[in-house]
Amino acid sequence: MTEPQDPFSFSSYPPIDPINFDLIVIGTALSESVIAAAASAVGKTVLHLDPNSFYGSHFASLSLHDLTSYLTSPHHPPRAASGGDSDYFGVDLVHQHPCSDVEIAFCDDESESFLRENSRKFNIDLGGPRALFSADKAINLLMKSGASQYMEFKGIDESFVYEANEGLANVPDSRGAIFRDKKLSLKEKNQLMRFFKLVLKHLDDTQEEKISEEDLEIPFVSFLEKMKLPPKIKSILLYAIAMVDYDQDNNEVCKDLLKTKDGIDCLAQYSSSVGRFPNAPGALLYPIYGEGELPQAFCRRAAVKGCIYVLRMPVISLLMEKVTGLYKGVRLASGQDLYSNQLILDPSFTVPSLPSLSRRDVLTERLQMLSQRDIKGMVARGICITKSSIKPDVSNCSVVYPPRSLYPEQVTSIKALQIGSNLAVCPAGTFILYFSTLCNDADEGKKLLKAAMNALLTLPVSENSESIPSVQSDSADIKPIVIWNAFYIQKLITSKFEFISSTPTPDGNLNYNDLLDATEKLFGQMYPNEEFFPKATSPEDPKDEDEDEDEDDDGEDSGITLES
Amino acid sequence: MATIGHNNLNAKLCYFHQVLLGDMGAGKSSLVLRFVKGQFLEFQESTIGAAFFSQTLAVNDATVKFEIWDTAGQERYHSLAPMYYRGAAAAIIVYDITSSDSFTRAKKWVQELQKQGNPNMVMALAGNKADLEDKRKVTAEEARVYAEENGLFFMETSAKSATNVNDVFYEIAKRLPRAQPAQNPAGMVLVDRPAEGTRAASCCS
Repeated sequence: MTEPQDPFSFSSYPPIDPINFDLIVIGTALSESVIAAAASAVGKTVLHLDPNSFYGSHFASLSLHDLTSYLTSPHHPPRAASGGDSDYFGVDLVHQHPCSDVEIAFCDDESESFLRENSRKFNIDLGGPRALFSADKAINLLMKSGASQYMEFKGIDESFVYEANEGLANVPDSRGAIFRDKKLSLKEKNQLMRFFKLVLKHLDDTQEEKISEEDLEIPFVSFLEKMKLPPKIKSILLYAIAMVDYDQDNNEVCKDLLKTKDGIDCLAQYSSSVGRFPNAPGALLYPIYGEGELPQAFCRRAAVKGCIYVLRMPVISLLMEKVTGLYKGVRLASGQDLYSNQLILDPSFTVPSLPSLSRRDVLTERLQMLSQRDIKGMVARGICITKSSIKPDVSNCSVVYPPRSLYPEQVTSIKALQIGSNLAVCPAGTFILYFSTLCNDADEGKKLLKAAMNALLTLPVSENSESIPSVQSDSADIKPIVIWNAFYIQKLITSKFEFISSTPTPDGNLNYNDLLDATEKLFGQMYPNEEFFPKATSPEDPKDEDEDEDEDDDGEDSGITLES
Repeated sequence: MATIGHNNLNAKLCYFHQVLLGDMGAGKSSLVLRFVKGQFLEFQESTIGAAFFSQTLAVNDATVKFEIWDTAGQERYHSLAPMYYRGAAAAIIVYDITSSDSFTRAKKWVQELQKQGNPNMVMALAGNKADLEDKRKVTAEEARVYAEENGLFFMETSAKSATNVNDVFYEIAKRLPRAQPAQNPAGMVLVDRPAEGTRAASCCS
């Protein structure tokens, strides 16, 4: 337990009542919270447990102190509980800390004491950088489920792309901005115009002219080349708008080659995000108090529909029926046994493979399924706290470093997000910067993040002593000094089995689209006959009008890119 | 939460997010129901199904609109999300005068708010079920002393007989600083259609 002063612990809880549920959910990360809310919304009885004292699991926003202890503490082994039912075979759960290779550094003693005094004023995202596109799946789901009424957002002020030798350049979010760009020739602008007209016609159902089926299936990067777009624009479209991770020009390393049809979808989402909500200048939104508000909002939605919440409650084992090997329930650290038809498990829980169980064939087989995990690479994450912004007069901004922008061997893009105190996540005068990239091993990931940080920031000295590929710096600019930073690695794991399902681990994306797609799919598998958030019925619920976006804004400043 | 002042014609309209905390069964929902709808249900079910209520009060020169958040049952195993009370301008901590345990838990809620909540939050301690005098376990004196030591104001209430219910809310409304700069940065609430009223669009900065 990370909070010794916590006056509440599971031992002081009354026993959980009832003991039978349709669904037990363990962990309160975003996927789990969405499943709990969706299942509660269709009338399932749901018990939602979390061993932590906070909501959000890997998607929590934490105070600096809590974040540090979460990252550095080996996970509390749940204490053994006695008692229980002999009809069932207990399988102990093993918790693997979702973060590994943790490094934390302070700049100096003065910063350390400043941060200690202000620790509680920080709400630092564990899964950062994260932001939402105004027209993306998370926003639509928030509104559809009614969870949006518990949250407030602000728009991200600016989006930048990092260019080798040139530093930060604005991601042009309107046609006007592109055409004002002095670095493009008239010919290039005309090629762009032709491209946008084509995309616009393609997306307009009333227009005949479409991008050919053949072109829709080719790599987007080839299509952009075919359209003769300048390299700079190509790079912005691929990495800063479609947000792809791998170098699209390098077939050997690229694991996520984007097809034209998906690229067009990304452009459409970006275009309908800009200007969807008044007061959001660009395409991106960020929640006040941090990303950890998202799981909380869905949990609150679930609670309103009757879901029971118990934090600080570790689950120590799964109860399996001895004969059939079927999942029956869970045993809590309090010793209580609870039963459910289905179980959703935080992906950081596993069961050990138990070779000694040769006698129980079915059971062994099932347990082996449970211990199978599919590791699909890693995400490296970095967090920096500074006392000045990477761009004067801009508080909240996103930065994308396309592949090869930092050094030639850089095969993945790096995403970064700076958030200031007007989003209530840090004390006045400070900024939090989040960085992430996909990688194959921890050292490679950290090297990339450090190079990205070094391009814009001054890291604490000890971090700089390693051989980091040097990035040319504009000596005229004074780079903000990092007073605290942290690095950690998360594995991308998927697993799934009959009545026990594991939610996806945090991915390397800036938004939640893939995660929520996987969550909706999981819900569909669990409850094939139920709707994922049916239309709201209670008068407290906001109306669900399903109006996709407000009328398009013709103004150039907030302008929609895809206009004829 | 956002505070919006309209200064035309001296009519000031203030929005406040208010929360009620306390043990399950202490009477949080009953107090709200009495205040908002003037009703009392002898066997109020555990709260499910409502997220918040709102009630408008005219107090002196201002119109105060309370948005009263319900715990939605998350208090039962002490699992309230910080989002519940983080932006709150006022809190009523409710206990049941017939249960010493509920008073002990109320003190824990006060501790939690002092630790995690908005430092300028107006807090009231309400000893509910004051109509059950013969079953009393917590003396008014004990609670009053505790409230004074912790800077709360204290009243015994009865949602059943309506005693002091409106008074608690009026007293809070009087103590809320009207012209306070928004305690927390105001953002926008997502509304996918032209917003009704001022809330969604105009309180954004």
